[in-house]
Amino acid sequence: MPLLFLPDWVEPVARYMFKVGLPATLKVSAIALTTSTLIGVTLGTLLTIHFFPSRALIRTYIEVWRGLPIIVTLFLVYFAAPQISPTLEFGPLTAGTITLTLWGSAQIAEATRGAVQSIPREQHEAASALGFGWTGRHLYVILPQALRRLIPPLVSLLVGIILNTTLIQVIGGAELLETAERSVERLASPTPPEFTPGDIKAFEIYGGVMVMFFLITFPLTRLAAYLERRLV
Amino acid sequence: MKRLLVVTFAFALAVGVITAATTAATGGKAESAGRRAEAAKPKLPALPAEVRNRKRWIIGVKCDVPPFGYINVKGENAGFDVEIAHWFARYAFGKANRVAFVCAPTPAREPLLTTGRADLVISTFTYTRDRDTRIDFSRAYYKATGRLLVKNNSSISSISDLAGKTIATTSGSIYDRWVRKCFTNATLSVFDNLTNARLAFDQGRADTLMWDDAGLVPLAAADRNSKLTNDTFLALPYGIGIKQGNVAMKRWVDSRLALMKKRDTFMQILRNNVPKRFVAGFSKNILRPKNNFAYAPAGAPAAETVCP
Amino acid sequence: MTLALTYDLWGFLSENWEALLRGLGRTIEVSAIAVIGSFLIGLVLGAARAHRVPVVSQLATIYVEVIRNTPILVQIFFLYFGLGQFESTRFDVFTVAWLSITIWGGAFNTENFRAGFEAVPYRFREAGLALGFSRLATFFNVTLPIGGRIALPSSINTYIAVVKNTALLYVIAYEELTTTAFQIQALTLETLEAFTLIGIVYLILVWSLSAGIRVLESHLALPEAR
Repeated sequence: MPLLFLPDWVEPVARYMFKVGLPATLKVSAIALTTSTLIGVTLGTLLTIHFFPSRALIRTYIEVWRGLPIIVTLFLVYFAAPQISPTLEFGPLTAGTITLTLWGSAQIAEATRGAVQSIPREQHEAASALGFGWTGRHLYVILPQALRRLIPPLVSLLVGIILNTTLIQVIGGAELLETAERSVERLASPTPPEFTPGDIKAFEIYGGVMVMFFLITFPLTRLAAYLERRLV
Repeated sequence: MKRLLVVTFAFALAVGVITAATTAATGGKAESAGRRAEAAKPKLPALPAEVRNRKRWIIGVKCDVPPFGYINVKGENAGFDVEIAHWFARYAFGKANRVAFVCAPTPAREPLLTTGRADLVISTFTYTRDRDTRIDFSRAYYKATGRLLVKNNSSISSISDLAGKTIATTSGSIYDRWVRKCFTNATLSVFDNLTNARLAFDQGRADTLMWDDAGLVPLAAADRNSKLTNDTFLALPYGIGIKQGNVAMKRWVDSRLALMKKRDTFMQILRNNVPKRFVAGFSKNILRPKNNFAYAPAGAPAAETVCP
Repeated sequence: MTLALTYDLWGFLSENWEALLRGLGRTIEVSAIAVIGSFLIGLVLGAARAHRVPVVSQLATIYVEVIRNTPILVQIFFLYFGLGQFESTRFDVFTVAWLSITIWGGAFNTENFRAGFEAVPYRFREAGLALGFSRLATFFNVTLPIGGRIALPSSINTYIAVVKNTALLYVIAYEELTTTAFQIQALTLETLEAFTLIGIVYLILVWSLSAGIRVLESHLALPEAR
């Protein structure tokens, strides 16, 4: 990349980050967002049913995964779960995806509950009058309206997920921040055996990572604000 | 005209086929000759089934500890440990690239094995009897010792000067336990990878960086403002981490390590990874035909519980 | 290693309670400073943005957008290792700990307060001005009390997030609760006990804060909301 104003150590670092780190970040974010939405919308809708046991369970799920710091959830999923059962072993990226799904679905469930409950009673009554059962009512009348109100929080959640993928760095997963961090150390003469650990470029590299995330998430944040105005 | 073209084409095809056949034959002949020679000696242990079926190794290595395991400018894994892994791929599958690397910073090494996420861990992995209760180790392949990296103007000249100082190291390492046990009047600053520990030392947030000589020597060599103290402590032979109870794997690994020792392969790997001026010094720490070392005998107390 | 045979939460707790308690103390310390700091930053900058104070509100906007659109983990690394490259900006661990979380919380809180102040119906502010209050006095006597209460729910969420984000200080080896627990389990491998214990502690902390502040909220709520 002939970016003339950047020093030449930038090229290999940037290449490593874009080839390995960025796709991992995007993949984890995409999967986490999709599964969070599916699980969250389902749980949120079920939460509106006045049946104590289910509401208690779902409410517990929501409060636990929203209440724990995400990094603690991540440690539980990555380090502690294998001690419960050997089948619960996950690689860093998978553990990260699971953690973000747990957190994201809890957020979405709460938002869905709010959105569904904000639909006026008249809609429910009209739908019942037309002969819809509970499922039909929710599927064809309530949820379409509620989901419109969910879109701004969903975009905000995407931003949250993307930013929180950096936590995977802590368990060694090769996402954007980690690939940058590994580059902090090894910048120098390219061919062994004359290996020299390079100068530390921590300031530039962490600054660069911040810029990169900003470029990804700022448009999304603007989009969320715009949608908030238009759709709600 | 057409006939000329057909003849030329057939001729070129024939040449191509013959060349290919010859190279394959000679290559094959060399291989089968080698195999016959191998077969003449007592058979080496067979490759464990799970690796054979996968047709690739999955090996955990360090990604930030030059010259043992790091990421080079092309974004590939490189280093002494990494090259051992490539040799294992050659021994197992005939191709050096049949290995997938997983980064194994210090706290992740054991979980990688106990949960089966990696076949082997070749990651500056010091043998300790405590670790041996949870995983298995191959025979020793590198004889490291602990060193202290200090700034040139530091008041620390040996481990007896550590009272009241801040020591940076990696979490879960031997040094972590040893300092907590033996240097209770020093402050410990643990990070989960060597890069951050080194950054902390570089920025003066810790007075000294305590780690294996193998990792610290290149750092001291490159940084004119820091140096190693003269003392060495804790004999810390590296082993290859293997999942506990996997006897077939241990036999295979030990046999290949013995083979590499006999052929002085480690010297070649050392020369590929370490600047010339360090080769002589490091060559005393690797397995060579006349250079033997092993773990501490079973009766001796664990290294990290013995205070100086 | 089946769970039932080796899971010993009580044993883990009794062996390590001093270290864990110290860790918890540091968590609370940093959280307290960060909450107060975020409150002040949010108040001042939120007011500046709501009233479109020149220069200050533009700078505040940049501050808010940068902090909200970058991961907090990177902000922590940047403050500790990035700025630490230069002698003049090399802060110690404790400073980076509370500073990074405060900066993060302050950005979100600025948005909360801005929204709150802007939601105060204009007629209230008009009334204040009509009664002879200066612009500043109107702010303190009319906009702030009402806008502050409107902003309360979202501010509370930010403060709770601040408490949870102190767990991230693990990465700079600041010995708060998560770091302490992680280091203990790195040595003793009682991984499940360590993390479930701090999980429980964080949930208690977060839930009781949540509940306590809801009580506060009901006392402070505006008459029409009651």
